[in-house]
Amino acid sequence: MTLPNECNYATPLDEFELTLKPMWLRAQAGDALAYRDALAKIAQRLRRFYGRRLQALPDEVEDLVQETLLALHMQRGTYDDTLPVSSWVFAIARHKLVDLWRRRGRRDNLNDSLDDLTEDQHPLAQEELPSRRDLAVLLEQLPESQQQAILLTKIEGLSMAEASERSGVSVAALKVQVHRGLKQLAALVRSDS
Amino acid sequence: MKTDELITLLANQAGPAPKALVVKRLLPAGMAGGLLAAALVVSVLGLIPDTMLTEPGPWIKFAYAGALVLATAWLVSRVGKPGASGKQAVGAVLGIVLVMLLVGFASYISMEESERAAALMGHSWLLCPWTILVLSIPVMAGSFWAMKGLAPTNLPLAGAACGLFAGAVAAMAYALACTEPAAPFIAIWYTLGIALCGGVGAVLGPRLLNW
Repeated sequence: MTLPNECNYATPLDEFELTLKPMWLRAQAGDALAYRDALAKIAQRLRRFYGRRLQALPDEVEDLVQETLLALHMQRGTYDDTLPVSSWVFAIARHKLVDLWRRRGRRDNLNDSLDDLTEDQHPLAQEELPSRRDLAVLLEQLPESQQQAILLTKIEGLSMAEASERSGVSVAALKVQVHRGLKQLAALVRSDS
Repeated sequence: MKTDELITLLANQAGPAPKALVVKRLLPAGMAGGLLAAALVVSVLGLIPDTMLTEPGPWIKFAYAGALVLATAWLVSRVGKPGASGKQAVGAVLGIVLVMLLVGFASYISMEESERAAALMGHSWLLCPWTILVLSIPVMAGSFWAMKGLAPTNLPLAGAACGLFAGAVAAMAYALACTEPAAPFIAIWYTLGIALCGGVGAVLGPRLLNW
């Protein structure tokens, strides 16, 4: 399967990479605020990346951005410090795009004519729209224990210790439930698109 | 859902990133699968006679397959990381195969012509690649499980890497019982057996490794 040319949207030292990398390294070390900023920055870039490749399917863009963000989160352990963050991000983004086409059975649309331009030269794609899915509905499909773990730590933003006290579940078990819940969420998001 | 909501959800209490270390899964998978294959080999085919251990034959097999185990493990770890290039690891695998082919070829041309056919085909050429393929099954299951813990974006290559790793471990196990002494035989039939495992892995990759 041929993929779009590897190099033209992620030259190692472009402005995107330069600002993202320090943020990302702090995020990897456990800084939640840096992680938030880094994901927001990545989301913006993904919106453009998918926007120009899914011109015929504008409704899919935000869905795929969200699916990719979930995938990035689940796979953040596979990031290798010696590589540009953007290479890692776009390798996953391309994988998700190919996966989408495969599921829709339309591989040929992978070819695009704008490859000579870098991402920066592209006009901004549409502004952010909410995706068609509903977080609350997705969460309802998870097992009770996972729902609760995600609700307490991820939505209410309690620390693991606080959430443990509130729910009577150990911190270790909570972490496992959050991880499993997000994994399940990623699978749900992937299967509904 | 707004993407901002999702980002907040992901970042909240995210903690430090877990390290997806390839050895965490590939090492136990290789060890367990390798021991299982070795036990199977010894119980069904029996160990090679002690006298063979003073000859180079078995040691060439162990060295060749062992080097390939290391190189293919490296390849597995590279193709499991999005954005990382597997080129150097592929080069290492091909380099090791090339060295073995050269050793086999040098041994072949230095022989008397009357010995050549036997050195090339041995008495088990038909058996060797298929035995390696069968022996690779437990390791293959383990190496695919290890790859599932990573994030491969080139699925045929990722599958091939898992298959080659399994084939190399299986070849080491098979060397415990294989009585073929000649380098040309090893260069051809061991290589083919391991390549066969790689081919099976490449076919299975897109089916089993998608995420």
